[in-house]
Amino acid sequence: MEQWSRREDERLLTGEGRYVADMDVPGCLDAVFVRSDVAHGVLREVDCSAAREVPGVVGAWSAADLPGVPPCARPTGMSRDLLPVPYVPLAQLSTEEAVAGREWPVLVRDRVRYPGEALAVVLGEDRYRAEDGAAEVTFRIDPLPAVVTPSAAADGTVRLFDGLSNVALRGEAGKPIGEPVWREAAVVVEGRYRQQLLMPTPMECRTILAVPEGDLLTVWSGHQTPHRLRRDLAALLGPRVERVRVVVPDTGGAFGSKSTTFPEFVAVAFLAVELGRPVRWIEDRLESMMVATRGRGQDQRVRLAADADGRLLAYELNIDADIGAYPHLAAGLPMQTAWMATGPYATPRVHATVRSVLTNTMVTYPYRGAGRPEAAIALERSMDTLARRLGMDPAELRRRNFIPPEDFPYETPTGRHYDSGNYAAALDLALEALGYDGWRAEQARRRTDPEALPLGIGLSCYVERSGGESGGLHEFAGVEAHEDGTVTARCGTASSGQGHETVFPALVAETLGVDGARVRLVEGDTDEQPDGVGSFASRSAQVGGAALRNAATLLVEEARARAAALWEVPETEVAWSDGTVHTVHGGSAAMDLAELVKATGPMRVDGRFESGMAFPFGTHAAVAEVDPELGTVRVLRLVAVDDCGVVLDPAMVRGQAFGSAVQGIGQALYEGIPFGENGVPLLAEALLDYLLPTSAEIPPIELRDTRTPSPSTPLGAKGAGESGCIGTPAAIVNAVADALRVADPDLLQMPLTPDVVWRAARAPKLPEEVR
Amino acid sequence: MRITVTVNGEERALDVEPRRVLADVLREDCRLTGTHLGCEHGVCGACTVLVDGEAVRSCLMLAVQCDGGSVRTVEGLSGPGGEPHPLQRAFSAEHALQCGFCTPGFLMVAAGALESDPALGDDPERVAALVGSNICRCTGYEPIRRAIARAAGEWPESPSRGDLRS
Repeated sequence: MEQWSRREDERLLTGEGRYVADMDVPGCLDAVFVRSDVAHGVLREVDCSAAREVPGVVGAWSAADLPGVPPCARPTGMSRDLLPVPYVPLAQLSTEEAVAGREWPVLVRDRVRYPGEALAVVLGEDRYRAEDGAAEVTFRIDPLPAVVTPSAAADGTVRLFDGLSNVALRGEAGKPIGEPVWREAAVVVEGRYRQQLLMPTPMECRTILAVPEGDLLTVWSGHQTPHRLRRDLAALLGPRVERVRVVVPDTGGAFGSKSTTFPEFVAVAFLAVELGRPVRWIEDRLESMMVATRGRGQDQRVRLAADADGRLLAYELNIDADIGAYPHLAAGLPMQTAWMATGPYATPRVHATVRSVLTNTMVTYPYRGAGRPEAAIALERSMDTLARRLGMDPAELRRRNFIPPEDFPYETPTGRHYDSGNYAAALDLALEALGYDGWRAEQARRRTDPEALPLGIGLSCYVERSGGESGGLHEFAGVEAHEDGTVTARCGTASSGQGHETVFPALVAETLGVDGARVRLVEGDTDEQPDGVGSFASRSAQVGGAALRNAATLLVEEARARAAALWEVPETEVAWSDGTVHTVHGGSAAMDLAELVKATGPMRVDGRFESGMAFPFGTHAAVAEVDPELGTVRVLRLVAVDDCGVVLDPAMVRGQAFGSAVQGIGQALYEGIPFGENGVPLLAEALLDYLLPTSAEIPPIELRDTRTPSPSTPLGAKGAGESGCIGTPAAIVNAVADALRVADPDLLQMPLTPDVVWRAARAPKLPEEVR
Repeated sequence: MRITVTVNGEERALDVEPRRVLADVLREDCRLTGTHLGCEHGVCGACTVLVDGEAVRSCLMLAVQCDGGSVRTVEGLSGPGGEPHPLQRAFSAEHALQCGFCTPGFLMVAAGALESDPALGDDPERVAALVGSNICRCTGYEPIRRAIARAAGEWPESPSRGDLRS
């Protein structure tokens, strides 16, 4: 095994990995969805009859065909309607109030609310046949005006749900700030920022394979939260299905986007049960670009006040969030931004408001960062604007306002309880790694050289939250010792590329003091590990790791108790070291785990372990060169200093940090969904229309870290993996703003395409006397 | 339509619909599921295989176009005794994969290029151009670039590793 860095590597490098689409299930049907070509409209008619005549098509259904109408020649005994898509109460992602009166049908019944919403589903003997059938389905939709931005939707001229407001949820964090504070402050800066909608774009699109066998339905899916999926499907399908088992095989990336129960999943599981046949849906890329959940999507207005010395007095953030067409998955997600509005600063007054607005776009949902990038970008862009207004070095302005290390734990005005931090240390390291003073000198030189391209330096100091929200800060884990000396670790998490099979066994082995090769991990199978929360919110190492450490510790306790009983000595006389029990005062009695299991029977502990929230932080710093004639941005250097507390596996965390930074570059410079006037995304060239970073766009990136342990978990580990999406975008945008010295930084809205930058380069500049 | 294709050195007689793309035939008919479909329109490169030694997006090629030809997939990368290919070792050593979905495509792009010219590893720009041909969402590409350069440095002297191509 030594020749492979990770246990996952051998199979993934030799073609032996097993993703859902790779599974060979005899008789499995492929599902293809017929999708709306308009963003908003009244569905008048769907006709699946021609599709049912296509050779190889097993059935075709619109919402009207369920229940009752036999969908094909062979009656199937359809007896139940499809239940609508469930909402997500976890982490307050959605609420009963937000979804009240707003049903999300699995197939459109009468009203299309987002482009690509499914009108019918066709099952074929293979994908080709199913596509043949889908091409024969006809439908008629009377289009309605579409609203694709929160501002357009919020005025209520066009309503997505008749008689109900497009504002599905309102919320706030902190207390309103009185006008005198703003009036009396030496400096107040304002800003408007658009957090554009992003496509998470894991390389493997969504997948589900549902295999009914008697009363059991086994569901295979590339997924982050198998237990949530099981719970949802069991509730939707019961009592027709006695038991649902969800298994997560290899998963080709997720980035937050594979953690819920999608309409297509409900349809596939339902049809598999009704037909008594295996059914799978392997989403294709174009489909994913049209209907997979989006990330971000906020229009923000901010006010930031400081005294003449640059001490922050007040910060206000108003968010109009684009939550997409249905509030079920994440109407409450923008509250993450509100709660994190305080950032790393000791600002005495902070107030954030949220309006979650329904629009005719696919649903917005967590994507790597999930609410924290939006908070960090708004605040950090405003900090640079403030520094320019004050004529102060942006690094100094930040240093002056950091919550000092001795003030932790720190209660923020927006209701967060920061566990630990040393923000200045991260900033100092970033400045040093970047060579900040040298770049400032180069910037000054270029400003006197008419031939030189303008250069800017951007900073972004962030603090984020990892682990999840109250009510979801626990994880289930177990450790079992076997007679042959091997150990099985089980955990309720699910890996989608983060290397759990490598990291978790090493952690358990270290706790037990046994050879790592003897420990193997089982996760992502609800039969093997009956309870679990899952992998999202950077929680696997912090919360899942802590649960495994706890289970391993309990196993040691169990071993000591058994040895004491066996040897008829008090437990206090039994010690544990290097995977063996032995008596404290020498003596000959000593047994390793295998011997102990042989002597005393199967040994397994399972438990639920509660951790606290943690608040990773860091500073990202970018140097960018702008060509005002072409509008191009060249990032010359990016330094990312992250602090995720105690690091379990440095190489793995580096990999996460690097990949995350590249996704952050994507948001800053490239990625955006082009919409037509009719609200339909313009994706004629598919993946070429959505500019994911390729290797040609990667600047020199230097990763550094500081390590401030979290007191919230026994491991001291905070979450890792989202830092780049959170910290990097503002660093890059600030660098461009610094290079161009635009008087109105609101002109620089992400992504900073050549068009945006070219226009900003022609806008009025800051007066010369200001730095 | 009946076709004969040599896949990873093994001659296979296949009966395929003319419309079926190579990737589907490899995955479904040959059960070689290491070739992954990431976009099905030739952009991401996850499905890259070698057809007669040349890197090809197998989602854009019909299987019938390979009649009489040879195809090499990620399953055919390791040596005859199952020993890992230098690229496989290097990808692991450099953490050039996380979720692993795009990995077979990068491996095959690199294998095809290095087999034609192992010296390309000495030229960072050529390695970068190679990496730029596919999409990865996990690693940020830098580890893949390092892995290809590393594998190039360990490339066997003799071209014997390329035997399976013909």
